[in-house]
Amino acid sequence: MNYTKQIQDIASQLFAEGKIDVFVGYRLNGFDDNQVPVLIKDPQDVHKLVFTDKSVFNLVNYLKTDHTRRKRVGLVVKGCDSRSLNLMLTENQVKRENIYVVGICCEGVTDDAGQKMQNCVDCMVPDAVVSDELLGTASGADTLTYKMNADVAALSNIPLTERAAYFEEVFENCIRCNACRHSCPLCYCAKCCIDQETATLYNGANTTSAAFHALMTWSLHLAGRCVDCRNCEKACPSHLPLHLLHKQNESVIFENFQEHLAGVIPEDRGAFYKYSLKDPDDFIM
Amino acid sequence: MARVGVFVCFCGANIADYVDVPQVVEEVKRIKEVKFATEYKYMCSDPGQGMIRDAIVQNKLTSIVVAACSPRMHEKTFRKALSDAGMNPYLLEVANIREHSSWVHQKDKKAATEKAMDLCRMAVAKSIANEQLHEISVPVTKRALVIGGGIAGIQAALDIADARIPVVLVERSPSIGGKMAQLDETFPTLDCAQCILTPKMVDVASHPYIELIPYSEVIELQGFVGNYKVRIKKKASYVNFKTCTGCGACWQKCPVKVPNEYNMGIDKRKAIYTPFPQAVPNKPVIDAEHCTMLTKGKCGICAKVCDKGSIDYTMQDEIIEREIGAVVVATGYDMWDPKPYEEYGVGRFKDIITSLEFERMVSANGPTNGVPIRPSDGKVPKNVVFIKCVGSRDEAKGIEYCSKICCMYTTKHTILLHHKVHDSHAYVFYMDIRAAGKGYEEFVKKAQVDTGTTYLRGRVSKIYKKGDKLMVRGEDAQLGQVVEVEADMVVLATAVSAPKDNPDLARLLGISYDKYGYLSEAHPKLRPVETAKAGIFLAGCTQAPKDIPETVSQASACAAKVCGLFAGDTMKKDPMVSTINNEYCSGCQNCVKVCPYGAIVTDDVPIGHGSKELRTVAKINEGVCQGCGSCVAICRSMAINLAGFTDPQIINEIVSI
Repeated sequence: MNYTKQIQDIASQLFAEGKIDVFVGYRLNGFDDNQVPVLIKDPQDVHKLVFTDKSVFNLVNYLKTDHTRRKRVGLVVKGCDSRSLNLMLTENQVKRENIYVVGICCEGVTDDAGQKMQNCVDCMVPDAVVSDELLGTASGADTLTYKMNADVAALSNIPLTERAAYFEEVFENCIRCNACRHSCPLCYCAKCCIDQETATLYNGANTTSAAFHALMTWSLHLAGRCVDCRNCEKACPSHLPLHLLHKQNESVIFENFQEHLAGVIPEDRGAFYKYSLKDPDDFIM
Repeated sequence: MARVGVFVCFCGANIADYVDVPQVVEEVKRIKEVKFATEYKYMCSDPGQGMIRDAIVQNKLTSIVVAACSPRMHEKTFRKALSDAGMNPYLLEVANIREHSSWVHQKDKKAATEKAMDLCRMAVAKSIANEQLHEISVPVTKRALVIGGGIAGIQAALDIADARIPVVLVERSPSIGGKMAQLDETFPTLDCAQCILTPKMVDVASHPYIELIPYSEVIELQGFVGNYKVRIKKKASYVNFKTCTGCGACWQKCPVKVPNEYNMGIDKRKAIYTPFPQAVPNKPVIDAEHCTMLTKGKCGICAKVCDKGSIDYTMQDEIIEREIGAVVVATGYDMWDPKPYEEYGVGRFKDIITSLEFERMVSANGPTNGVPIRPSDGKVPKNVVFIKCVGSRDEAKGIEYCSKICCMYTTKHTILLHHKVHDSHAYVFYMDIRAAGKGYEEFVKKAQVDTGTTYLRGRVSKIYKKGDKLMVRGEDAQLGQVVEVEADMVVLATAVSAPKDNPDLARLLGISYDKYGYLSEAHPKLRPVETAKAGIFLAGCTQAPKDIPETVSQASACAAKVCGLFAGDTMKKDPMVSTINNEYCSGCQNCVKVCPYGAIVTDDVPIGHGSKELRTVAKINEGVCQGCGSCVAICRSMAINLAGFTDPQIINEIVSI
């Protein structure tokens, strides 16, 4: 998978036609073959843009910055990224007319060791669902079959008490740096509820319980919205397996709420934000 | 520093028998903010309220906790007590230790007491964060909507309109009148139903304060008490009512014959029809399902014979919008389908009919000109068996409840049979004779003597055919033996059941319904015509089976409630409404989507102090907000707080236990 040339051409043309103020893409980090996000404002810098299977980050996150807010932006999105963009549009965070979307029919990206990323193995929507221009060959899959994450499946076989103990141990490593939140495109709140003065439940200094509360709240605020881009895991300095929370939520929601998958359908806010007569209600007495 | 007063109620024995009230008082006294705590037998009584008033003044209390029954019951009472003592009424907090503790934990006094203590601790903690709130005043639209044009809807509409309040009356069928228009005579006085109903129908049509919208359905209700917006779908009638004179040429010439609903399918009507000759409005509609012009594009006879040119095959459904302040729901009832009674041969034997079919037969304007006949051969029946409780009081096949009117109408039917066929004999199989009501027992007694009807107490187990007769086998429980009656015709007193689309209507209106589909009143004894949603009232059988006198009483009660609601130009409203913190609002508009009242709109505010750039945030219309809290729960940014249930209050509650 290499669309470096095409993306450079598209960006040049957009700048030439005066359609964008900034282009958000990937560049080499300068040390090895890994890439970092880049915001190109000067057409002279377009040559820096690359796109290969090392283009791992979800660039939609950069629509939250002052460099892009209320500006006309060119943006590269893979399948998962495009779903988060869909949600950003639905939740009125960005305006569609301000963004030129270069969609990728993604074949999966690789980690440092050159292995296909786990979320790409589990990927159900490889093609960009929103785009002005689509690069690559569409996967052509019409029907959606849920791919259960192997870690979540393994964890669900462990008894509840042991599972709780496992999570307590894992979350103990959380240093409350909030990198997960800052790296998530869908964490765009003006002031996160976890930081609010009244939210005393999260203010227990750096105790496990407060971290646990914060992470659980965070994962529930992303339930039915998380697109499994793994920006959070890439950002986490403690290497917490955050996907366990998100993929667990995703599978429960897919099963119970009319096969809902975040961000696939435009204007679909997600299971928790709409009401259907088919919603499960057997828990109501 | 908060100074909280706690008042724990015995509720007679309701709480005190299962909760150790003095121990609860001792426990709350240990909380440092509690400066006064006491107990009393009936806190809601005048001496009880007096204790609260005195304690507020003497102890300079800043908030009050009353541990008693549900706030639904007496929150208003205690708020008033606070007001009387010069305190803001919203500084009250009610701990429900009756419904939430004593009543549900009657077998374990220790646990019930501990739970009561927890509830009190939570209420005290919450009350510390209580703020002074002030009632909101909202304007009222003085127009009422009545759904359903049966006797309940007619009576409610007339009573409201007579108070010079405009009424919109929506009826689903082409004519008002409902089930009562199908009846012949009415118990216990044998008034002719048509003679007492049709003048009222005419009054509705001619009343200057009533807008009658027939052949229509309510499809949407938005807003809140005093300020609802209703959308009504007026079905295409294909007849221009403005020019139609109701001459009848069209339905006389129409070649399509359809089973007549008004006569329970005993005879036929045309595809263009008025339901019955006394219909209001007396204008025909075209049944689009059966009209060959509309289904196949062939015919057009009615248009040819109409010299006013009133037929319009291109007519479309129309959406009508009205602003209203209150709703009376009067959707009536359905007759229960006796199909499950297979042992009776329902569906197999033509001479088994339902009571409403019998009613149509004996009716003077009925399909048989008032003479009961056997559907199988058209002969006049001599021996008629009436079976009561078909569907009612039958947990196995039907419904648990008593349909209330069958005992009386079956008695009426024995009289009508006797009047129409002098040499007939009626047999009634019954479980009990329930004749509670003014003049009812006398009516039954007199009918038994006058008609010579044989009453057999017991259930019918089987009906089978012998020649052209029906053999009804049942039990005579008083003799303790099996009896068989040879009948020419059998009449089933089928149960009254809730209209089958009541649940849909309830969802549309945002009110609740019970397991049978009847709409639920706010309180079975003290608020029998109100629903739990303010400004929506119930009249007639849509709430439970009722006879005509009861239905009319309830309809008039609804009218009184509506008039009361509209007595002032503005309405006071609880200040428990949501507020939005613009700084925290991220503008995702999830709250706009989940608000069931349409109370949230968007607003553009500067992105920062003094900035010209704008961003979109949510904005609450506090006149519309009903304080349900849906937006608070959905807001990820925690930018929304509900007055009276703010985050500090709720967190205080959680932390206190």
